[in-house]
Amino acid sequence: MENAIELRELTKTYGSRRGLAGLTLDVRVGEVFGYLGPNGAGKSTTIRLLLDLIRPTVGRATVLGLDPRADGVELRCRLGYLAGDFVVDGRQRVRDCLRFLADLRGGVPQQRIDDLTDRLGLDQNAHIKKLSKGNRQKIGLVQAFMHTPELLILDEPTSGLDPLVQQTFLDLVTEAAANGQTVFMSSHIMDEVEAVADRVGILRDGRLVALDSVAQLRAGAVREIEITFAEPVRAEEFARLPGVRTLVLDPAGTTLRGQLTGEPDALVKAAARHHVTALRASEPTLDGLFHAYYADAEAAPRSTAAV
Amino acid sequence: MRATVFTKTLRDNRRSLIGWTAGTTLAAAMYASFYPQMATGGAESVQNFPEAMREAFHLDDLTSAAGYLQSSVFGLILPLLALFYGAATGARATAGDEESGTLDLLLAHPVTRTRLILQRFGALTAGACGIAAAVWIAMLGIRESADLTSISPLEFLAQCLNLALLAVAFGALAMGIGAATGRRALVFAATAGIGILTYAAHTFAGRLGAEWAAYFSPFHYYIGGEPLKHGIQWGDAGVLAAASAALVVAGTYRFNHRDLNA
Repeated sequence: MENAIELRELTKTYGSRRGLAGLTLDVRVGEVFGYLGPNGAGKSTTIRLLLDLIRPTVGRATVLGLDPRADGVELRCRLGYLAGDFVVDGRQRVRDCLRFLADLRGGVPQQRIDDLTDRLGLDQNAHIKKLSKGNRQKIGLVQAFMHTPELLILDEPTSGLDPLVQQTFLDLVTEAAANGQTVFMSSHIMDEVEAVADRVGILRDGRLVALDSVAQLRAGAVREIEITFAEPVRAEEFARLPGVRTLVLDPAGTTLRGQLTGEPDALVKAAARHHVTALRASEPTLDGLFHAYYADAEAAPRSTAAV
Repeated sequence: MRATVFTKTLRDNRRSLIGWTAGTTLAAAMYASFYPQMATGGAESVQNFPEAMREAFHLDDLTSAAGYLQSSVFGLILPLLALFYGAATGARATAGDEESGTLDLLLAHPVTRTRLILQRFGALTAGACGIAAAVWIAMLGIRESADLTSISPLEFLAQCLNLALLAVAFGALAMGIGAATGRRALVFAATAGIGILTYAAHTFAGRLGAEWAAYFSPFHYYIGGEPLKHGIQWGDAGVLAAASAALVVAGTYRFNHRDLNA
């Protein structure tokens, strides 16, 4: 088995609405795969298909070499899942909830559960209904990781988590990958994915619009940039630099605003010839990334599906 | 691992189950203990009721213990409570979880949908049996003091068995609709509606000259054979059990072949 997940022409329609349109994608065993897309792109639809919570209209999904429907029980023994909107019955303690879920899997060592809750800072004696959204999300993480599954399928795993816990989560993913586990995680935030993912697929309107390594995607991403100078500068100096997409100088001639793809090296060196009083660059946004890929797709159609 | 869902369901529902048991048993014991007053004074006042009403509610035989219990406690209060226990518990069984989103979590574990439904149905049935057993024990407890000795413990047991089966039948109906649709409000409304209609069919079918209609009513199989007078009615009990099984099987089939609501 080479691929942990194989999707072939996977299509899901809801009435007249299309959830997924002929998605073909391979996720290799042992890799961390980031599944990116705006809300409504079809990320959760894909994931729910992998778990046999819903069934494809057309096409086929193979997970760990198994059919999600025919071999559902064996498959679900071997994977851990965190739902996008993780909800759990509030009328119980964290400990009882985790114990029950572990029992459904035929048992998980208590030590392993304790380790995970300690690391995430989750109190097992707490009543779930009294927990914040972030703390409930921790329960979701613990139940997904606790049996050390071969494959982790995580739908928006960091939603509601504070930055410190997000880091712990990223550590867990890194450890899982080092342990040979495959991680398939969806997100609409580029940052958290690029920190841990080997490859990233970008989904839009039920189609895969990009599939590449993180480094390659980053190179194509768009940053908003703003440079303020002490003295007015000339726009021509900057307009033709590599990576510069659009650049506008304000009427006073001291503030340069625009968009940049790839390395900022040339722009920074050009700016350094002047007295720079302020420099602001946004993180590459997913939206910018989409536009970059759409521009590419129109100019020169590229292979967007995995082979 | 095998009965994990079953025990967890019972545990999660322990408060509501205790409530149903206490409420039902209390109502049963209270109304049943009115029998001595009813036997002496009440029966005469009923003679002034319109004949149609007396017939519909079987009020002509209030002086015998079985007649009184069949028209009041076991004829009206307990079966309606059983109906609502079945509707509420059955609606929660899968539709409630599906609507709140917690079903995704369960079914992402190595649990088949069939196993989930059967264990939840098992928990519902266990609850119904618990309620009926408590009612039976309460009846035995007040049997002497309330002058109900003309009914044997076995005859009480027969009626309580049918009470459990009635609750199970409506629970199966609710679970079946819930498994097929996943919409809790619809499940509860449809089950309660069908319950009231079939109760009416059982009660008024004779009056309306449509005796056949009673055969479609679970209430007919629950009390039509008068277990308080004739003991266990295996045929009637069998009909209720078979109908319950058919509803759960049909619901499970649909559940296994559809998408879960997000």
